Amino acid sequence: MIILVASLILFLVGLYAIITKRNMIKVAVGFSLMEYSVNFLFAIVGFRPGALPPILQAVEVGKVYSDPLPQALVLTAIVIGLGVTAFMLSLILRLYNRIGSFDLEEIQRLKG
Amino acid sequence: MKGMTPIVKVVARIIGGFIFIYGCYIVLYGHLSPGGGFAGGAIIAAGLILARLAFGTTASQERSTLISSSIFESTGGLLFLLVGLLGLFVGGYFFINLFPSFGTPGRLVSAGSIPFSNIAIGIKVAAAILSIFVVLASTKYIFKE
Repeated sequence: MIILVASLILFLVGLYAIITKRNMIKVAVGFSLMEYSVNFLFAIVGFRPGALPPILQAVEVGKVYSDPLPQALVLTAIVIGLGVTAFMLSLILRLYNRIGSFDLEEIQRLKG
Repeated sequence: MKGMTPIVKVVARIIGGFIFIYGCYIVLYGHLSPGGGFAGGAIIAAGLILARLAFGTTASQERSTLISSSIFESTGGLLFLLVGLLGLFVGGYFFINLFPSFGTPGRLVSAGSIPFSNIAIGIKVAAAILSIFVVLASTKYIFKE
């Protein structure tokens, strides 16, 4: 239960940064925080106390292994998040090269 | 990019090689322990990025790094495809295990064609992350052309 609350708090911190901040870099950090909160939730859901890593050396009966499915899912999500973050930063750099500022208010004056 | 202070340079000179070796370890032991191609490639790219940030680069170095990293990235992707297509031609299925009974399970030399896939993914991920960093960090030079 406390894990769900911690993940929700991290998600809300990222959402707060996206809604209220005017610096585009801070908005990108907020996006990354939301993404990491979801990854954290998925990785923790597959955790079991005292479990071994899900790598089978041989078939061993009676040992507890952690769930490999959320880990594979989170690995894919991390890769996609890397691509999304790089794309976001490249767009921010294009805007910075054009208007010379990271402020979101400056962009609204542009046309087209 | 300009280089950083001598403190950063000395520390980067000490730990840069260790980061690179650790990334290679994570890639090579990907079939035995947590980690694998993506994680190890990201660690290798972190070591390369640390060296670039600490010692600084010139415009011509940025350009040649972009070319060589794109070559390495294509090589990694083609190696991964080659492992899959060899399975198709040898065994009849895409990504079939090329060496099903080679080596002992749990040792370094085992797991058939998984280590080759890991090495290919590691090369590709390291080159891709390095080229993303170079493109983002040196937009000044690229937009000037």
